[in-house]
Amino acid sequence: MIRIVTLASFDPGDITFLSKTLYRSFGVGTEHAGERPLPRKAEQDDGRFDALALLDDAPPVRAYADDKVLYLCDVDLANPEGPLGEPPAWGYAIQGGERALVSTFRFKPRGVTEASIEIYRRRLARESIHFLGHLWDLHHCYDARCAMHPSWSPALPDDPEFELDAFCRDKSERRIRLAKT
Amino acid sequence: MRTPGKRERSEKTEEVPSTGGTIASSSDLKAGDRVVYPKQGVYRVTGLEQKDIAGQRLEFVRMSREEDGASVLVPLGKVATIGLRRVASADDIEGVFHYLGATYGDPELDWKVRHRDNVERLIAGGVLGVAEVVKGLHSLSRLRPLPAKERELYDSSRHLLVNEISVSLGVPDVIAEDYVDYALMPPAGVKLPLKTPPTPVELKGPPWKRKKPVAAEEEDDLGLADLGIDLGALEGVGVGATDSEESEEGESEGEKPSEEAAEEAAVPAKPVAPVKAAAAVKTAAPAKKIAPAKAPPAPRKAEPVKKPEGAKKATAPAKKAAPPPKKAAPAKKVAPPAKKAAPPPKKGAPAKKPVKPAKGKKK
Repeated sequence: MIRIVTLASFDPGDITFLSKTLYRSFGVGTEHAGERPLPRKAEQDDGRFDALALLDDAPPVRAYADDKVLYLCDVDLANPEGPLGEPPAWGYAIQGGERALVSTFRFKPRGVTEASIEIYRRRLARESIHFLGHLWDLHHCYDARCAMHPSWSPALPDDPEFELDAFCRDKSERRIRLAKT
Repeated sequence: MRTPGKRERSEKTEEVPSTGGTIASSSDLKAGDRVVYPKQGVYRVTGLEQKDIAGQRLEFVRMSREEDGASVLVPLGKVATIGLRRVASADDIEGVFHYLGATYGDPELDWKVRHRDNVERLIAGGVLGVAEVVKGLHSLSRLRPLPAKERELYDSSRHLLVNEISVSLGVPDVIAEDYVDYALMPPAGVKLPLKTPPTPVELKGPPWKRKKPVAAEEEDDLGLADLGIDLGALEGVGVGATDSEESEEGESEGEKPSEEAAEEAAVPAKPVAPVKAAAAVKTAAPAKKIAPAKAPPAPRKAEPVKKPEGAKKATAPAKKAAPPPKKAAPAKKVAPPAKKAAPPPKKGAPAKKPVKPAKGKKK
């Protein structure tokens, strides 16, 4: 079961679209577990939120074995600085773990038109699949049409696909089948 | 999409140290050490153990994989040969990123070579070798989708690389993977502060795969054998032991061409001049060149030649089933080789042809 927890206010239509998409992608039931307050402890001096700390401090929700929890927020996330610089943070997940975080901060504005809303929803679905994929031990994929392709890649189109490619889908299905429950 | 070779390097070209840290002896290991088992991942040494196996008391190093807790026992004597190495240092990892961020080279297009190289790099190339595999397959994926096997190899090598980086830098796996991809495909408009990447370890491959230089002895053998054949065919000199060696080698290899050539030469052998026979032998020659390398113990079998003729007839032909090329060649010529060629009629049917004419000639 995938449990979606919102750390900001999201449109119910967006959450419904996301739930359906996640179910289609992983074949696992999805539900909205409610909205929780954003943990302010993770905020840095520059106003951004440390992605690792935010996920650590995120309010827990009731979950069972093999459940995955997806937190949605809209704040600017920060990753730890790497040897070549800081990669842009669209979210964070614990590889093979149980919790993932997605931020809509870098998305194109939701807007009010059907087209812009559609693009926003698709992007939300893509990033959610991406970080949930990490929970099932998926790595980044070189295929720009796969949801596991890095979110900042220059090869990614403006309105990227929100599906897994065959390899990643097979791998995630294997992992899900191997789950204890 | 960024094309290979487009990336700019920073003006500073400071050399980054290359990777190393292979564990050469079991005495280098102690409980609590973190080591990398090639193609397996990062392990932590938990201690030394003694076990009785098949009546022998053996010492093992017990290690557990950090990722999933899987336990492995490695015999002390094997520690140096399985390619265990220390977890890469922060300097090494920095070099890996500079390597990943450097311009792409042309990917190897021959899949056999590529596969062999990749496997060797994963085993013996250190963390930079793993990075090489990831980068090589990544650059290939820009040309065309990877085949299933290589897709899996790409995924597993990426997993190994990410795992080691995360252990070395003390960051979560997902962040380590972000670092890797940030170097491989930086966002548009980002210029990476790259230094000159370290030079990857040059792999020689495992001993059984290395190309052996042709030994001087083998060359000598070949030369003599060739000489012997030529002389025997052209001048009628008995080839003797050398001939018998070659025949054995030819048999062991199952050289059809040489046999056919011998038969062809043998049929017209009665009346025809030695030149034709020589030509036939020459056609069989290429096969002989290959044979000596695979059958070095041949000289031992040749020893019986020194025995009395009766013994020769009894022993030598019995070992050799049907060596037509040799028997054919001397038979056409002169008496001395014909004596040696005589025994075959008792054994193999195809040998009859060359032998009979030889006897006739004698008479």
